[in-house]
Amino acid sequence: MPINKNAFKRYKVIDMLLRNKMRRFPTLAEITETCIEKLDLKDLSTETIRKDMEHMRESQPNGFEAPIKYHPTNRGYYYTDPDYSIDKISLSADDVDTLKESIDLIKSIGGSRVSEKFNNAIEKILSTVLEEFPEGDSKQVFLQTMSPPKSRGFEHFDLFYYACRKKIPVSIIHYNYQKRIFNSLTIHPILIKEFENKWYIIAYSENHSEVRTFGLDRIFDPLLLKKKFINVEKNVLEKATSSYYGVLPIANQEKQTIKISVSDLVTNYFEAYPIHESQQISKEPNGFSIISFYLIPTMELTRLFLSYGKDIKIIEPSWLIDYTKTLN
Amino acid sequence: MSQSINSLLFEIKSDEKLDQNPKLLRVILTKEYTRIDFGYTTPWYYEKGGWINISPNSYLKLDDADKKYHLKNAIGVPFAPNQTDFQSIEDWQFFTLYFEPIPQKDCILNMIEAIDPTPDDFNYYGICLNINQGVKIC
Repeated sequence: MPINKNAFKRYKVIDMLLRNKMRRFPTLAEITETCIEKLDLKDLSTETIRKDMEHMRESQPNGFEAPIKYHPTNRGYYYTDPDYSIDKISLSADDVDTLKESIDLIKSIGGSRVSEKFNNAIEKILSTVLEEFPEGDSKQVFLQTMSPPKSRGFEHFDLFYYACRKKIPVSIIHYNYQKRIFNSLTIHPILIKEFENKWYIIAYSENHSEVRTFGLDRIFDPLLLKKKFINVEKNVLEKATSSYYGVLPIANQEKQTIKISVSDLVTNYFEAYPIHESQQISKEPNGFSIISFYLIPTMELTRLFLSYGKDIKIIEPSWLIDYTKTLN
Repeated sequence: MSQSINSLLFEIKSDEKLDQNPKLLRVILTKEYTRIDFGYTTPWYYEKGGWINISPNSYLKLDDADKKYHLKNAIGVPFAPNQTDFQSIEDWQFFTLYFEPIPQKDCILNMIEAIDPTPDDFNYYGICLNINQGVKIC
């Protein structure tokens, strides 16, 4: 059974009191009072503390195997092993395996910096336990996803994550690859988004007076600013998170129905890997299908359609048929 | 008008039609330095985009005073005679120059790389800083 956070805080206080050599044999009432005081609780029953100590006595992995006993003469509790502390408890083999699996998973998904931070945090935990792990961890890798080399701009991930969380405006230098123009912009970050291993920041841009998407690879020297944060309406955020396939919406287009005719071969891929929650497939007797979506068209969506060549034909809207022709 | 010492950031709005290159992007005033950010895109008329560097003798000067605020450091661009050679006419470079700190007051700032400049020198005149428009940096 997992230990909840509040219970664990009480265990820490109980542990501290039972290890206190200056004031030995605390009573149930004294432990309860100290917990209330230290943890800033409104009330706490002695019964809860009694159950906590029972739980601490339980063997691992449920409990801590704490050698807690009641001393009838001194009318208080104590550890029979004077060197015992719950801080010295090692993780179980299962705990360690789980943590190591987590590291592998995060390494695989998160690529470089995220996994590095996570790895460091986990290794700190592992290093505090008595378990020993083979150096170099030569075990075979059982999980692999695409983890491209470190990309430019990803070093700003932490700053933008912080700015999103704390709602802090950011000054950035942005380079537009197509127009070959540098600009100094003030943005109010809302969301960090990943798409096909590329990272983007979605933010309200003061200079454009609207929400825009900026590739992290095109951002230089972001600086946190001490100025009022501009919040955007909730529906704007929803639009940016759920209405797109990809990250770069085609200008001036709203959510709309898009229909494509798809070959029997490529239908298999759309069935296996739906690209949007609105995707609906209507199969023809010959295996071809009509697939419809209800979303805001993006550059990535048109690129996806074009990447399948003759296997995908756009049926509607007509403007999208014309638009993709201009990209060929 | 002057203001108490903070790190202040000024976004420099430039006229796109001026085709300024390098484009002056931001000025940051702190008590330790004056920082200026630039973005450079290689022009079509140099083979492989040419090269850039910055004279170590570059300085800032306020319009109404003679004092020079010297260049202390550069990031993204080497001090002359070293140079960064580009590889194409589609290359680009973001770089930052750090000068001695100028006073935090309304002023018109000039950046001088060469006293008798050629079109290839990075001289900038009339950078208006209105201290009230500076944004504090965290």
